[in-house]
Amino acid sequence: MSSLSVNVSVEPLDEYQVQEITYDGQEKYIQPLSMSENLTKMVQKIDFAKIDTEASDGTNGVEAMDETPEVESKELATFQPSLWPFDSIRNKLKQALTEVTVLYDVLSICKDKRYLVLDPVSQEPIENKPITALVAKKKALATVATIISNGCDRMRSAQTEANRNRSTDFHSELFQMRQNWRLRKKENSILGDLSYRSAGSRFPHSGTFEVTKNEEQCTSGTGSRASALKVKVPSDLEGGSFFQVKTQKDNEVIGDGEVSVPIPPVLQSNVDLNWHQKLENAQNVLFNKELFAQLAREAVQLQLPIPTTVIGNQIIASLFPGVQLSIVLCHTTIHGKIKHQKNSSLAIPSKQDSPNKPVLEHSLHQLLRELHHNTLHHPMPHPTTATLGVSRKRYLAGPEAYDRQTIAELNKSDTILEQIIAQTQHDLLRLRTMFMIDTLASEIKDPIIVAHWLCLNSATKSSVKINIVSYGYESLCRTPLVIHISTKSLKAILRDGRVINMSYESQELRYLLLNQVSQHQVFAIQALSKPMGWKVLSLNINVGVGHVEPIGTASSIVLVSPNGDRIIAIRCGPHSGIEVKMCSSPQEFYASALVRDRKWQNLTGSYREVDWERIEGKNFINKIEYLMASLTNY
Amino acid sequence: MDSVSMGMGGMGRRVGAVVAQQEYLLQGSILDDSCEQLLHKLRGFCDNCDSSPETFQDHEMVFTIRAPNGSNTSLRVRKSMDVLQNPYHLRYLGQQELGDKNRATIVRNCIDCSTSSDCVSFLQEMGFKLDYEFVLKGYMFRKGRMKVIVAKLFRVQPNASPEALEPLSQSYLVELSVNAPTGQEGIADEMKLFADSLKPLVILDKVDTRRLQM
Repeated sequence: MSSLSVNVSVEPLDEYQVQEITYDGQEKYIQPLSMSENLTKMVQKIDFAKIDTEASDGTNGVEAMDETPEVESKELATFQPSLWPFDSIRNKLKQALTEVTVLYDVLSICKDKRYLVLDPVSQEPIENKPITALVAKKKALATVATIISNGCDRMRSAQTEANRNRSTDFHSELFQMRQNWRLRKKENSILGDLSYRSAGSRFPHSGTFEVTKNEEQCTSGTGSRASALKVKVPSDLEGGSFFQVKTQKDNEVIGDGEVSVPIPPVLQSNVDLNWHQKLENAQNVLFNKELFAQLAREAVQLQLPIPTTVIGNQIIASLFPGVQLSIVLCHTTIHGKIKHQKNSSLAIPSKQDSPNKPVLEHSLHQLLRELHHNTLHHPMPHPTTATLGVSRKRYLAGPEAYDRQTIAELNKSDTILEQIIAQTQHDLLRLRTMFMIDTLASEIKDPIIVAHWLCLNSATKSSVKINIVSYGYESLCRTPLVIHISTKSLKAILRDGRVINMSYESQELRYLLLNQVSQHQVFAIQALSKPMGWKVLSLNINVGVGHVEPIGTASSIVLVSPNGDRIIAIRCGPHSGIEVKMCSSPQEFYASALVRDRKWQNLTGSYREVDWERIEGKNFINKIEYLMASLTNY
Repeated sequence: MDSVSMGMGGMGRRVGAVVAQQEYLLQGSILDDSCEQLLHKLRGFCDNCDSSPETFQDHEMVFTIRAPNGSNTSLRVRKSMDVLQNPYHLRYLGQQELGDKNRATIVRNCIDCSTSSDCVSFLQEMGFKLDYEFVLKGYMFRKGRMKVIVAKLFRVQPNASPEALEPLSQSYLVELSVNAPTGQEGIADEMKLFADSLKPLVILDKVDTRRLQM
């Protein structure tokens, strides 16, 4: 062909065209046309009318083009029977050739300028500078590089930041805060709620705090990290507060309510606390405020025989005559000053005051929490159709036909002040009882007083089991007694089942214990007599003879030896001590004018006192055992 | 004293000396397998989420008397099987109030009182006959004045021991109810809002009781 022609190489594609890709990535290929389909397709392209016109038409000026219609006709004549795989390709090439020849014809006509004229449309010539294209590409690549490197730097720095100091980001800290505190957004500011209202409190304080972003980037020298949040609590809840609950004796001036209290170390730090601590402190202050307000209200309403006084931030209630309970609310501000604190004008040494009782402070907190709990947690109705939210006892009001007074009594419950007074009274009484028992146990060495305090007790009830035993004879005889300690009285249950009710005066307990000790000696002798073989002639718990004991009664026992010739009589009293006397028979007989018969010598003689303290033996029972052993003769 | 006087007066319309209230009710059911999810959801929505859901077991007996003019009146006696010292509960439920089709819940008159255990023999002496009885066992929740019950219905076997209960179906009955004095608005909407929050787990709807009786 001519040098202008271009070589066209035709290659078949080795893969089919993709029709669609399914969601699981599978590709569906367009199936190659089968032979018959191919044929049909090509037959449709044949325009039989045109074949004749093209064959006879010779308007194409190009020689090569003259061949094509002939080639076409020739091809077309032989086309139908042959089924050539490259047919479509050839047809497409032919089409392309046709179009190109047409274009050539048009251009040659235009060149002739006789029938067609080409007129250029005036436009700006586009200067195609490869240099600028290169520069533009370079710039574009540079911007892309900077974007990617920026992103990479940011991610790296964020990671290192997160690794070094966690959560200095405002939003992450806010997220943490939201997990513990109730926050809500109001216009532009974030407000939070630190009151106990959602837990059942009805205190009118609003308890809202505000959260803002911490703009300053302060680096304090102590190494604490700057937080991204700043909270602002209400001014009257700033600082910290705590209760001081203590018992005091009566001889103090309480007229002006001034009290000096040591600040607990927790609140002493002047360093700016982080928001978590600040919020907790503020909530604590609010809780204590509510508690004190409740206590003060009850103190005014309560009708006790000795009225309670409320002065400033101190409540004084009377427990026992001469002993008082003092509850003081101390509020410290951030800068270490104590509000409501002036220098103590009391010159009384503090050893007369018992120290602060943190248990009672904790009890106060628990009591208020219980109050909150009860406002929210009403018992559920059983059966389910009964009225909602009514207490259990109220359900029975209908069927049991309660009258108005009974229902009113159902609603009565102990106030917090009453409960704390009861707890303090019990605490004091328990301490007094402990002290008394311990003193007696150390004073009295002969029978040993052993006290076991029960570990299961409540805030208003305790028990102690006291065993009085003699050393060496523990299994022989043991005098037990149980003492139940409640708020204002003691109840003692003795070994024989007697119940003795005592008041809070500890002297009464002392007398009881002394009495029990003296009775124990007698009972121990009785128990001892059996293994020794001696017979008990009489055992008397309350002797009516002899000198009167100032407190309690004496007890006595009379024993006779196995062969009947010796008698021992023992009298034990709590204050008069122990007396041992013995008599023996036969007595000395002197025949006289009245008594002549020898047989009268068998009567028992007079009693002689035994100085039992000089007998060998570790304790009294031991000595009497020795005495009994020495007097026994078979 | 104050609560007593408040309880005596001012609560709803008085019929003689008895306070008449209205019961607003929505019912639905849920299959046993999905009940656990519903309980979790309710526990989060309702009051006192810190304690575990309260279980209950109630035995209800429905007594009917036939009036001479042919109309039947029924009374329901409900007793708690787990708290035996609580009194029985006697209830009269009126017909469903017709009228407002847009109202979301069933509204019916409810008159109730607590009685001692002689209630059953008393009703029988009066001429009431035991119509049917069943046992409900499940959980109950409350939110404000709304009460939600998720319970299984059991058939009472007349000859077997009270412990041998036969469940009626493989699903739990869910009821949302409020007992309120007459004339209070907004309860139905409040209940509808709560019921919508439980969809699509359980669909609480009003049930036409007249069609059930047919």
